[in-house]
Amino acid sequence: MMRIFWTIVGKELLSFLRSWGLLIVVLYSFTVDVYIAGEGMQIKPRNVGVGYIDNTGGGISQKIISHLHPPEFLPPKRFLSQKELSEAIFNKKILVGIIFDSDFEKAYRKGEKTELNVLLDATAASQSFTTLGYLQNIVLEFSKVDFPVELKSHKLFNQNADNHTFMALSELLSVITMLSILLPAMVFVKEKEEGTWDIMLLMPVDARITILAKSFSQVLIVVAGTMMTVGFVLFGAFDIPMNGSFWAFFLLTFLYSFTSAGLGLFVAAVSKNILQVAQLSMIIMMPMIFLSGAWTPIYAMHPAFQALSMISPLRYYIEGCESIFFRGTDFFDLWHYFAGVLVLGSFLYWYGFRKIGKLF
Amino acid sequence: MKEQLYVKNVTVQYKGHIGIKNATFSLKGGEIIGLIGADGSGKSSLLHAIAGVERFTGEIIYDDVSYHNPKEAQPLKSKMGLMPQGIGLVLYDTLTVKEHLDFFADIRNIPIDDTFKSYRTKLLHMAGLEDFIDREAGKLSGGMMQKLSLVCTLLHRPKLLILDEPTTGVDPLSRIELWEILDEIRKMEGSIILVSTAYMQEAQKMDHILLFDEGEIIASGSVSALLDSAKAYTYKQTPCEDGCITFDGRTYTRKNINADHVSPTLEGLFLINALQKGKTLTSMQISARQNRVNIPEIVMEAKQMSKYFESFIANEHIDMKLHRGEIVGLLGANGAGKTTFIKMLLGLYPIDEGELYLLGKRIQSGADRRELKSKIGYVSQHFSLYKDMTVGENLIYFATLHALSKQKAAQRIKSYAKALGFSEYLDAFPRDLPLGINQRFSITAALLHEPVILFLDEPTSGVDTIARAQFWEILRQLKQQWGIAILITTHYMSEAEYCDRVVLLKEGKKVADASVAQLHATHPKAKNFEEIFLEYYR
Repeated sequence: MMRIFWTIVGKELLSFLRSWGLLIVVLYSFTVDVYIAGEGMQIKPRNVGVGYIDNTGGGISQKIISHLHPPEFLPPKRFLSQKELSEAIFNKKILVGIIFDSDFEKAYRKGEKTELNVLLDATAASQSFTTLGYLQNIVLEFSKVDFPVELKSHKLFNQNADNHTFMALSELLSVITMLSILLPAMVFVKEKEEGTWDIMLLMPVDARITILAKSFSQVLIVVAGTMMTVGFVLFGAFDIPMNGSFWAFFLLTFLYSFTSAGLGLFVAAVSKNILQVAQLSMIIMMPMIFLSGAWTPIYAMHPAFQALSMISPLRYYIEGCESIFFRGTDFFDLWHYFAGVLVLGSFLYWYGFRKIGKLF
Repeated sequence: MKEQLYVKNVTVQYKGHIGIKNATFSLKGGEIIGLIGADGSGKSSLLHAIAGVERFTGEIIYDDVSYHNPKEAQPLKSKMGLMPQGIGLVLYDTLTVKEHLDFFADIRNIPIDDTFKSYRTKLLHMAGLEDFIDREAGKLSGGMMQKLSLVCTLLHRPKLLILDEPTTGVDPLSRIELWEILDEIRKMEGSIILVSTAYMQEAQKMDHILLFDEGEIIASGSVSALLDSAKAYTYKQTPCEDGCITFDGRTYTRKNINADHVSPTLEGLFLINALQKGKTLTSMQISARQNRVNIPEIVMEAKQMSKYFESFIANEHIDMKLHRGEIVGLLGANGAGKTTFIKMLLGLYPIDEGELYLLGKRIQSGADRRELKSKIGYVSQHFSLYKDMTVGENLIYFATLHALSKQKAAQRIKSYAKALGFSEYLDAFPRDLPLGINQRFSITAALLHEPVILFLDEPTSGVDTIARAQFWEILRQLKQQWGIAILITTHYMSEAEYCDRVVLLKEGKKVADASVAQLHATHPKAKNFEEIFLEYYR
């Protein structure tokens, strides 16, 4: 019995390793894709082009300008007229223009109220508005406000307020969801496409062993890929902290993969070819990810969707993983995430298993 | 009439292999030319080159226009009609017959005048599609789809008609109708018609045939001339050691042997060609089975088996017995219920009505069915095994799933590889091997667990003559050495004659169940099995 189980698992792993295209897609998803998501989604300003017109003759204006330095800003460019500056913004040469009027410094020295005009390219909204925030901070330091309150902030769970961590982790969890639906569905549908389905059915093997072995082999691939991402991308490239138990994460991932594999079995049961698998998986996966809190925090959703998110197993998985990585929650206090994944997972896997079992 | 189509030294080359090498011939208008050969022997490559859809080297001249590549052939396209291989490939499932005709007339820019309308009516009449004008193409039968495809190809009155295996997979009756349309068109329009086919018996309907083997034209001429040329090498079945091939009751050899000459078949031409190249049949010796089991007289019995798909009756009250040491041919047109019936026998479909017995035991529960599966062997169409695994890995996999021990599996694989002559291919991937070799090791995969019944689903379609001859030799030995029952479905009516008994299905019912000799006795007028078959279908 076990020999047959492991033979099927071995056969599926072998044919996975031999299908180059699929192997490359999976490797890409687990490495480059997660890396790009973590590295690429930047909201902080970076290499922002700044131009200015200085009619004051230097002094304060140069002091302000000197605060705009790399890597956030490119060296500010000086323009001679407002027309040139506007043109530069229009042609996307710069994102922000600062105009120091001729009486700017005079008024400042006199202690009078004065203005600094800032032109922003609002099409790159987040970049230019963060830049505006920077400028406000710089200006604030010059005007010593007599207000004896100092903000002392304490960053919890993510001391560097590093955005990589969160984006990379969310992307990894989405990749896990996608592949653990797609891969198990594909092993079954490939048999349908290549005409080996009947031969598979004709083996004197209990259908349950065949289904279990085939989906288990793909769960193994997903778990192995996840470990690779955690090692190379999360720990290696982004230095994400692991405050909780690694084994808790491993176990949760393993259970969660079976949950999505159940969906994969359902997809396999109703699709005739790989194309249909891809289409159907997308349709199932998207609402799951939308409702999980990976892209929008759950508390920001419409109450109806908040309620619906209770049935997305990805929600429990994401919250569980965040707790493990960032909050360092104790293994036993993770029980409700495990329970969520386990309850929904058992149901989904049972459902998919029955659905494909009917074809045997 | 003077020659209209010249093909000079045409070679089509794909990445790494040759499609067709140095094809040269010329044709007159009003002729039907048949291209005959196995899958991958170069027929399609040549047809595609002539149709101007494939790059080639050499020269083709049609209607005094010479072309060397698809681009130069472009101006001739309005005079050509190409019907590619595959049933209903040019059709759109959701368009009706009428919409197809309108669509093809529009893209060919044919003026819708009275001449066109009367021509169209005539075509529809010939194809017998008049009453199905508003039927969607997806709901037509395979034969009707092919006739509609042909009508669509004929709409612009091509003078050069190129048809790539139009009759493959089509039931015999529709096949005859297709040939009638072609004959009519040839007389009416004086077109050159190039047809490729896998069915040797269709050669009788052609003026001129080209025989293809391994990317070369090995013979050309009229059927009678070709048969005459082979006569010198054909003898009555005689035991003969090397340099001989015996197939279908005849022995072919280039040596002089002491036997009577008999009239050859077209298959014989391929065998003689193989002899000329120094090839003979690999000698194959299937050894006795290791698990000695007493196979009872009746191995499997189906009693009044029926299968319904909603309101559609796929099989109705079919009785059938499979005896020890007997090869049974299961025949029938597309949609006659062959596949459904086999799937019930295999335990893949639940049986709606009736009973199935294996070795005297009724098959009912899931455990029974698993027991059934461990005692049968199955060779699927196209010999599909796992592409990502080598031949050896495939065989080990199947052996393990049949719960054979490692040593036993290794030992049996080795002995079969030797017996069937594929030892050197054990580390190759199935896709890199010719169909004939794939056929041999798919049989091995089905035999490793030493079944008591062997099911073969169209095991010879697309396979070359040599491989087919060897395949029947394997079956004969299995029957004798192992005494197992063999059930085979086939499209080749000529092969029915090699079976001990044939079972004929029509519209889900059994219409005949007798030996070929008995059938010939009850149908004295029929010259061959195909005619008997047609008598049941008319």
